[in-house]
Amino acid sequence: MNNGTDVRSKGSHAAGNGESGAVSAGSTPDPRGAGMRRILDRETRSSRAGVAGIAAVLVIILCGYGLLEAGVRAIGQPPWLIDPQTAAERIIALPQGIPPLLLGAIGAVTAMAGLFFFLNAVLPGRRARHLLPDRRAGVVADDEVIASALARRARLAANVTQEQVMVVVSQRQVVVNVRPTSGVPVSENAVLAAVLDELRDMAPEPMPEVRVNVATSGVIGA
Amino acid sequence: MNNTPRTLNRILIGILGLKLLAVGLLLIALATFPAAASWWQQWSAGVWNGMSQLLQRTSIPGRQESWLWAVLALLLAVLIALMVAWVAQQGKGRSSLILAEDDAEGLPGNVRIGGGVAEQALRAALAERQDLAGATVATYEVRGEPALKIRLQPRQGVAPHLLAADVSALVEALDAVVGKRVPVLIHIGTGARSRFSRAERVR
Repeated sequence: MNNGTDVRSKGSHAAGNGESGAVSAGSTPDPRGAGMRRILDRETRSSRAGVAGIAAVLVIILCGYGLLEAGVRAIGQPPWLIDPQTAAERIIALPQGIPPLLLGAIGAVTAMAGLFFFLNAVLPGRRARHLLPDRRAGVVADDEVIASALARRARLAANVTQEQVMVVVSQRQVVVNVRPTSGVPVSENAVLAAVLDELRDMAPEPMPEVRVNVATSGVIGA
Repeated sequence: MNNTPRTLNRILIGILGLKLLAVGLLLIALATFPAAASWWQQWSAGVWNGMSQLLQRTSIPGRQESWLWAVLALLLAVLIALMVAWVAQQGKGRSSLILAEDDAEGLPGNVRIGGGVAEQALRAALAERQDLAGATVATYEVRGEPALKIRLQPRQGVAPHLLAADVSALVEALDAVVGKRVPVLIHIGTGARSRFSRAERVR
């Protein structure tokens, strides 16, 4: 049902993050104060709170097991799962005692998890959001909201139904896909002008470029 | 908006990621290259020898066990406590006051206005709007100063800049009531309610 104003917003990590950061940081001083600038900067980036929680739970589980075995050993009780001495000997002997395929698979899974955490820490973590100008408050809008507003405008300009327009908004680009009704031509320029007009009123930062695709095949009976 | 320790998050996640990555790559290397396996057996056997000698030297008088095990247990417990403290830092920063000032110098006492005032007033003003599927208002503390966060969930197709202009007019009215301009963030987002509710066709 909501294919029409439908929106896939991509949190494009790779696309032009360096420059846009420089642009937003180097722009004119904000009349709403330096604190607002900081709030907006924080609001457009991920805080990584969820990943931090996962990492902490992982470390807590590992440490909890280690604590148990070390504590049991310290008071001279028999080990719970494995004696540290035996564990160390098995680890030293490693390629022996375990099928190489299993060892490789465990290694691959561990490396993937490590890569996930590492990339999360290193990449800019830009959220799919744009800043909107306002004289009193700081305004951030999700790309989905912008896309659905643009889709509504494009739909009115093209005179088609909701299901025939799809808009994808990313950091620096807006792609408008229109499937015309069969037999009724859609003016690409009219759609482009309408979307540009709406974007100019909205003035999101950074300002994306607009591309309009009118599909060659039409929809019957729309 | 909240006081999540972002730099700390990045550093700690990065350290954990690098360690897991190193362990994983080592395991893969052990499984595939025989040369890596022989190197590993020599190197780790040496390390373990040193450690077991250390454990023997530090044994508790009259007992077999080393007191290093107790130290290790203590260190792990401290690490667990640090991890819990780290998780507790996430998403902190809510505050209850929107204003706390002493504006009349001659008189004792000061003025405090709870965040509930702003939250209730804005929510009541926003409740009648047909183009909103939901709105929440929360008070945060940013660098010791109170700030308001207004989260709006418009229905599909609502122009965000017009909505923001309307809400910012409401905020200016609130400024006049409270008597002080607090920083305000308006976040226009989507949620399940706005995504699955009907589109605003007529405006």
